[in-house]
Amino acid sequence: MKKVIVILLLAALGFYLGTTFFNIGFGDPHFANGVKDFYLKETVDNLHVSNTVTSIVVNFRGFDTLGEVTVLFLAVTALGSILYKRRHEVGTRSVLFSSSSVVTAGSKLLFPAVILLGVYVFVHGHLSPGGGFQGGVIIATGFLLMLLSYENYSVSHKWLSIVESLAGIVFAGVGLLGFINGGTFLQNFLPTGVLNNLFSGGVIPIIYIAVGFKVAAELTGVIYTVLHEKGVK
Amino acid sequence: MSIMEIIGSVLILIGSIFLFLGGLGIYRMPDIYNRLQAGTKATTLGAMSLILGVGFLEPSWMLKSLIIIIFIAFSNPISSHALARANYKRKHFPLILSEDKKNMDAYREVIEQEDKEDKS
Repeated sequence: MKKVIVILLLAALGFYLGTTFFNIGFGDPHFANGVKDFYLKETVDNLHVSNTVTSIVVNFRGFDTLGEVTVLFLAVTALGSILYKRRHEVGTRSVLFSSSSVVTAGSKLLFPAVILLGVYVFVHGHLSPGGGFQGGVIIATGFLLMLLSYENYSVSHKWLSIVESLAGIVFAGVGLLGFINGGTFLQNFLPTGVLNNLFSGGVIPIIYIAVGFKVAAELTGVIYTVLHEKGVK
Repeated sequence: MSIMEIIGSVLILIGSIFLFLGGLGIYRMPDIYNRLQAGTKATTLGAMSLILGVGFLEPSWMLKSLIIIIFIAFSNPISSHALARANYKRKHFPLILSEDKKNMDAYREVIEQEDKEDKS
């Protein structure tokens, strides 16, 4: 009797799963005209953002971007936890020979310019090509330049983790504020301003600044951790 | 065609010729030092001339292109200096076809002296 009931339940479950599965319609055109027209029109008319890619990445698919940032965070955490013990056993970097004075002086001059470029790229993410990820990577290359030129240049891990956590909290907090004000997670709730203005696009600049800080802190942490790993010579 | 456009176009032409010669030098030269000097000198001047030409074609971008030129003037020689120095310190010595090997590579003596001091 018990077996019959189990078989019947399984059959019912299988039937419903099967009908749902075969009704999905793989390969069917779900949108007759595609969604591109909607994105292009909505971006300029209602969001007042000149960079359509940014508006898709941060506004229409903001949840996806939050996932990407989380994946990066997870990767950095995993790397840090793998290399943590070895770093504490050794403590210093293995350097074959120190950089020449040309490189040290030059990188001291170039470092502020690189940081400024990175900040520019992520602040203007909604106006020009670029955005939080790209700007963060540029800032991390600035720190890489300093770490390569100066043997004893050190980055505070405490500050890196504080910046990273604050940026993540800002991203998620903006999403929750959208939940409270607009109705859905990461909904735009700020005034969108005028097209091609620096202060426009609603929550997009805030999110991109947070993403820029987060990516910069994470990648700087990765570079620092890997450079301080001894063993490979 | 105004005078600014002519100047800009000529500068862009000069820059592209320099960049082409730099690429040819990287392909044709025998060792890393020759390649570095072909690549660095030609591409630094070529890129500077090209960007200056763009600044002449679009006068409102002139300030930005000057800043980019300063950046290239800093970063390009520094990076190739670091490459050449790292290569020399790893004992990839330059290719010398002449018989008089000692007097053509003065830096090798410095390196060998440093090595002796390290060992002692």
